[in-house]
Amino acid sequence: MVAPLGAATARAQFERPSTLNAPLFRSLLERIDKKQRIVVLDLGAVHAGTIATFVSYRCRLEFADLAEGLEKIQAAKFPALLDELVAGLLPPPGAEPTDIVLAWDLLNYLERPALTALMAGIAERLRPGALVHALIVYSDSRMPTHPAAFVPLEDQQLQDLSADRGPERPAPRYSPEDLSRCMPAFKIERGRLLSNGMQEFLFRL
Amino acid sequence: MKNETERTESSGPREAAVIGRSIQINGDLRGEEDLRIEGDVTGTIQLKNNSLTIGKDGRIKADVYAKAVYVDGLIEGDIYGSERVSIRKNARVTGNVISPRVSLEEGARFKGAIDMDSEAVEAALGKVQPQAKPAVASAPPLSAKPAAAVSTVKS
Repeated sequence: MVAPLGAATARAQFERPSTLNAPLFRSLLERIDKKQRIVVLDLGAVHAGTIATFVSYRCRLEFADLAEGLEKIQAAKFPALLDELVAGLLPPPGAEPTDIVLAWDLLNYLERPALTALMAGIAERLRPGALVHALIVYSDSRMPTHPAAFVPLEDQQLQDLSADRGPERPAPRYSPEDLSRCMPAFKIERGRLLSNGMQEFLFRL
Repeated sequence: MKNETERTESSGPREAAVIGRSIQINGDLRGEEDLRIEGDVTGTIQLKNNSLTIGKDGRIKADVYAKAVYVDGLIEGDIYGSERVSIRKNARVTGNVISPRVSLEEGARFKGAIDMDSEAVEAALGKVQPQAKPAVASAPPLSAKPAAAVSTVKS
């Protein structure tokens, strides 16, 4: 019996692969000079896989666990308050500038003013030429209420460890033009559509 | 303080001193034996040649210096482990971890930075003279790749 096309499409949407091939993330790791010290800021929560991925580099890994503060950011209505919240959510800036930022799914949960404030705050702590690797919802018009918890695996694919991400809500589906407007300090170096409907971006300061 | 036998990951059975649940310490804590903390400690903890275990009821507001640190409880402060730091699933850590070997179990909450760069760890632990400021390169330690246009090629 042949399943109707509509059912197949719906099933495809919800039976997403548990691991995600992210070529730009792999290329980012290949570009790191193992002899030099780097500072990596992960906007997500700490995971064993992230530590394992970067253990072979001379690396300082900073974790912002931004998902915890998303509601506060979204509730802030004034730019000055947003800037203050962003500063409070990011780890205190160290003596060294940051080289790489991992922004996996979290930017989808920020409205334009919050996204602009966050990326402006991040840009201030980056070394010129630093890279931001981001995963942005592109194909789907809806997304779960809570962000995914991506973690790199040994083969440098990404796996979502989140168990229950809640009911769906509209996705902002930021276009490259939207992102360029919200992140004027950054240039899109490369972008690529992934198998889960997200777009993978490398931004350069 | 009573003694208890504890098996650490890196060695066989050891006698570890215990700070019990009802004990509160405010100040500097130093020692030459392994220690397990189930109570409250505020200040600094230095067990440079021994291991420190922060039990599930332990609540620490201190910078910690030890050979090996195992965290099951709550700590606000920086953790310096000259051999290793192990953050277990029930742990809640706010601060920085500086150690050549760091392991973390899924479920642990952590906000801060992890530094496993051997030179930075040695400098932080005072084995070499720390620089006044870390050397900051003007160029990023990332090889340049020719920029490509935004593509919508599915991978």
